[in-house]
Amino acid sequence: MTWIFAQADKPLIEWDWIWSHLDDIWDATAQHLYLTGMAVGIGIVISLVLAVIALRRPATYPTIIGASGLLYTIPSLALFAFLVPFTGLTNTTALIALVTYTILILVRNIVTGIREVPADIKEAAVGMGYERRRLFFRIELPLALPVIMAGVRIATVTIVGLVTVTSLLGLGGLGSFILDGFRRSIIFPTEIIVGTVLSVVLAAALDLILLGIQHALTPWASRTASS
Amino acid sequence: MPEPMIRLEAVTKTYAGTPEPAVDALTLDVPEGEIAVLVGPSGCGKTTTLKMINRLIEPTGGDIVIGGLNILDLEAHELRRRIGYVIQQIGLFPHRTIAQNIATVPSLLGWDRAEIAARVDELIDVVHLDPEMRDRYPSELSGGQRQRVGVARALAADPPVMLMDEPFGAVDPIIRSKLQDQFLELQAELQKTIVLVTHDIDEAIKLGDRIAILNVGGILEQYAPPADVLRDPANPFVADFLGSDRGLKRLGLIPISTVKLDPGPVLPPTATPAQAHPVMERYGIDWIAVGEGEHLNGWASAETIANATTLRDVDLLPFQTTLQQSDSLKEALDAVVSSHTQIAAVFDGDRFLGMLTGEEISREITQ
Repeated sequence: MTWIFAQADKPLIEWDWIWSHLDDIWDATAQHLYLTGMAVGIGIVISLVLAVIALRRPATYPTIIGASGLLYTIPSLALFAFLVPFTGLTNTTALIALVTYTILILVRNIVTGIREVPADIKEAAVGMGYERRRLFFRIELPLALPVIMAGVRIATVTIVGLVTVTSLLGLGGLGSFILDGFRRSIIFPTEIIVGTVLSVVLAAALDLILLGIQHALTPWASRTASS
Repeated sequence: MPEPMIRLEAVTKTYAGTPEPAVDALTLDVPEGEIAVLVGPSGCGKTTTLKMINRLIEPTGGDIVIGGLNILDLEAHELRRRIGYVIQQIGLFPHRTIAQNIATVPSLLGWDRAEIAARVDELIDVVHLDPEMRDRYPSELSGGQRQRVGVARALAADPPVMLMDEPFGAVDPIIRSKLQDQFLELQAELQKTIVLVTHDIDEAIKLGDRIAILNVGGILEQYAPPADVLRDPANPFVADFLGSDRGLKRLGLIPISTVKLDPGPVLPPTATPAQAHPVMERYGIDWIAVGEGEHLNGWASAETIANATTLRDVDLLPFQTTLQQSDSLKEALDAVVSSHTQIAAVFDGDRFLGMLTGEEISREITQ
């Protein structure tokens, strides 16, 4: 980077540019958040369904993990390139690719979280008259929440990074500043730094917010015997 | 005999892939308001039997009837909401407060909030929990407190029948004994019909109105009140399972009040040493007790009374160990062997009733 910036006949940060492009920065951040939120949200729904299938029929688990693991290894650029002929340069293309990358992490954490619910708790619940569905939503899912939320946090941070790449599709997001900064005839460091710093800050901020949500949802997990 | 609350009729469980049944044609009646304890070595099918009653395990043969209703006539989850269930690890829900844990079954049954809150408060009191525990999480409680919450949760919807699988297995021995005592007090009041599983014969004897001794493969060797099992083991397996201290265990179940007491070597204060000698000789002892009617003053050795005119002049020693007639013969035996006098004085409150010797106690065992 220092080499690139040294080539540029410009100061590292031009504050004037930032002040005059606040609207663009805000729009790009919002688009970045939108894609991240949608991808993780859709990913959670799909992963829950896959996790339920894997839990009901344990024989399917290796297949589900194998398939989502294979998708996970496809380079994001290649996947975008593959999808564009079908879905064009749209948010849909970006989301399909992004959701793909959340599934491995989320399915694995949901299944692990639920499998780790102690057998005695499940036995007590069933023995007192919980049916299967109620057991899942009232006992297993809440108790798996710490492990599931850990997966959601990893998936979110991963997706914030990947959304930067989707700017190649011309879909905006903070990556568009980085791209634009490099594309100019003379490299423009301010844009590159704004794009990079904001995506890092966004990832860290989302991680903290999710951690806060996790603590709020699982007050029982942080309390232990005082005596 | 009136219709039993729980009836097991030729109940069999054979697991897929195993030729031998885990439980083999087990027939067992549990009368209303009694505690039946299933006890036996591991592999005897006691837990399998218990779990068949609330259909956590489905029998492969036979019938189970609770309160006149075949358990297969209900949806499994509806049946389970009518039966209290306590397991060894307690299985409290860690994400719910103590109050919410206790409210589990009433919530499933759709009671209204006020009703549930009132019931929770009542149960916290019934199982001697501190009301401050109400809004704590299970992880903040001690093992003994969790066990009480488990019992309160099982009692919440006031089920007539309770199933308990090693309910005191997860607490340390000192607390266990205390919890067992409180459980018996509670049962005296609530009169539930209870099936309890344990591997501990002493627990079975202490808690059971009847104990069912099961052998490997779910074979019922004997089903009778603990005193009967201890007195008349049905076969060598039962005798062996009861242990070599079977006689002592039996003494633990017999209150002193059922035994005829000896008046003891007691003379009034007006008696003379000359009168004391034949009494001491008859009992084969070198001391004499002094008392009158229902009052026992103490005792003195042959040497100390030798020079006295009457026993009134002698400095008496107090009896170190005294027994109440509600104590067991086991406690009496302990008092006899650990006292200098080799005889234990028995009282009803302050009233002196008579004395017990080792001989009389052993007569009771050999009877």
